[in-house]
Amino acid sequence: MTATGTRPPARLPGTPSRPARAGRAGAPRRTSARRRRNRWIGLGFAAPGLLLYGYVVLVPLLQSVQYSFFRWDGVTQAVWVGLENYTRFLTDPELRSTFGHVLVLVGFFSLLPIALGLLSAALLTRTRLPGMAAFRWIYFLPQVMTSIVIALVFKRIYAPEGPLNEALRAVGLGSLARSWLGDFTWALPSLGMIGTWAGFGFCMVLFISGASSIPPELYEAARMDGAGPVREFFAVTLPGLRGQLAVALTLTITGALRTFDLVWITTRGGPGTSTLTPAVALYRAAFQNPQVGQAAAIGVVMALLCLLIALTITRLSEKD
Amino acid sequence: MISRTERVVNYTVLVVLAAAVLVPVGYFVLAAVSPDRAGRPALGDLRWENFATAWQSADFSRSMTVSLTITVVVVVVGVLLALLGGYGFGVLGVAGERALFPVVLLGMMISLEAIIVPLYYQFRPLGLTNSIPGIVLIHLGTGVPFGVFWMRAAFRALPRSLFESAELDGAGPLRMLSRVALPLIRPAVYTLVLLSFMWTWNDYFLSLVFLHGDNQTATVALGVFQGKHVTEINLMAAGGLLVAAPVLVLYVFFQRKFISGMLAGALKE
Repeated sequence: MTATGTRPPARLPGTPSRPARAGRAGAPRRTSARRRRNRWIGLGFAAPGLLLYGYVVLVPLLQSVQYSFFRWDGVTQAVWVGLENYTRFLTDPELRSTFGHVLVLVGFFSLLPIALGLLSAALLTRTRLPGMAAFRWIYFLPQVMTSIVIALVFKRIYAPEGPLNEALRAVGLGSLARSWLGDFTWALPSLGMIGTWAGFGFCMVLFISGASSIPPELYEAARMDGAGPVREFFAVTLPGLRGQLAVALTLTITGALRTFDLVWITTRGGPGTSTLTPAVALYRAAFQNPQVGQAAAIGVVMALLCLLIALTITRLSEKD
Repeated sequence: MISRTERVVNYTVLVVLAAAVLVPVGYFVLAAVSPDRAGRPALGDLRWENFATAWQSADFSRSMTVSLTITVVVVVVGVLLALLGGYGFGVLGVAGERALFPVVLLGMMISLEAIIVPLYYQFRPLGLTNSIPGIVLIHLGTGVPFGVFWMRAAFRALPRSLFESAELDGAGPLRMLSRVALPLIRPAVYTLVLLSFMWTWNDYFLSLVFLHGDNQTATVALGVFQGKHVTEINLMAAGGLLVAAPVLVLYVFFQRKFISGMLAGALKE
């Protein structure tokens, strides 16, 4: 295998471009024999990792599919139920609601962070002034904080006697004060804001790197045409960030779908089921009052959705 | 060159965003050193001993040791597996690569949720639940796809001729890896170490499912601690900062590598 060729800046895993085998035809025989031997040595090198991966990921993946066709409490004999665990996504209101919540969370975990990421990246790449590195550092900070600490920080902020409500009271908006995470209407958006806060720095870093590979001539041309900063952003920067946008969308949407830690620590899915997500439903079904088959089915559906989202966005972003 | 007004507007927006990020964190830090159990900041009276009190009452010595053990083993062994696999796929070639590599890529898209249920129920009879070797195995196995992928890209960025001339000098594959390639791909290894440390240390879901009691990791122990001390916000915040500290310290020291590492991880190929 030749190992040349520069890759497009953003390409999602799953669509590896295969390097051509050309150019080796004239190589001496001895080399090709060694090359063939190397391939077996290479397999030997990769084997420990591959075996572990197979054992921990691939085998359980198949078992998940198998489990999902059974009703099982984790202890007694499992009963074959066919597609029942899957049809419950349509019939069980609690389970069905989790996907509605995910749609709301996509707004907060994906669209809003991407918008803020674009804004901050555009500002940071346009204004080359001292202090820019500090802003980048600050915006990225939540990304390295463990999710449980982020959850604790915001549990405090949103508390009935917490700083958010105190601030509201201080400016005379005391009537708006409430227990944000305990409110049926507000719990989900409040939770969502945590995701926005935590995630936009990641999007920003992604977009900054993308913007750095946009040829400066494009900007010069736009300025010659008399484009202001806003026009310039929409005409040059945004189209240039296509690939990064695809990556950001994929990662943040699947992130919204998979939200667990934040919900588990702040609301446990409550009040009622107003912040229940698929991952929390899975956790409950798997480990709290075991309906193991149902939990496996949730996992399988989540995996399929993630895969579908990734493939769709990759495809869309590569089309012209 | 940009106009003065534009510069002012830009700075204003950036500062507002920075404040939105920093104010919650700052409030939490002040709560951690507050004398008040409700965690109301008191600037004149900083109680640093809250950290010691939280450390003791949450028994962090134990859970931090567990977290550190898991993280160090996962980072060391995981990077080793990634090096070997990445070298195989990137330099030597791997027999069956056409079938194997897409399977490895698939692993980066499979979420933990899809495998956690059988993992738990299969590991239980083997005595691998509530055991540190068990969770280390899972971290390592789920980390293989990204690790191999990441190191493969690094190896492939090296000039091919380098390996060919080393081969002509009679260097075997292992020698080429350790003497020729390794010194050149140190930055990539470095990034992998940082990412793998962060992901393993910050993990919550896996340890919540797999480890209990004495084997709890710091993140799970912190969750339990805040559940028990809902009325002592200051101690809870201090505990939170203690658990977040190792990665935060890494971030401060290696900020440039950290950011570029996160980036490259999402972008390469």
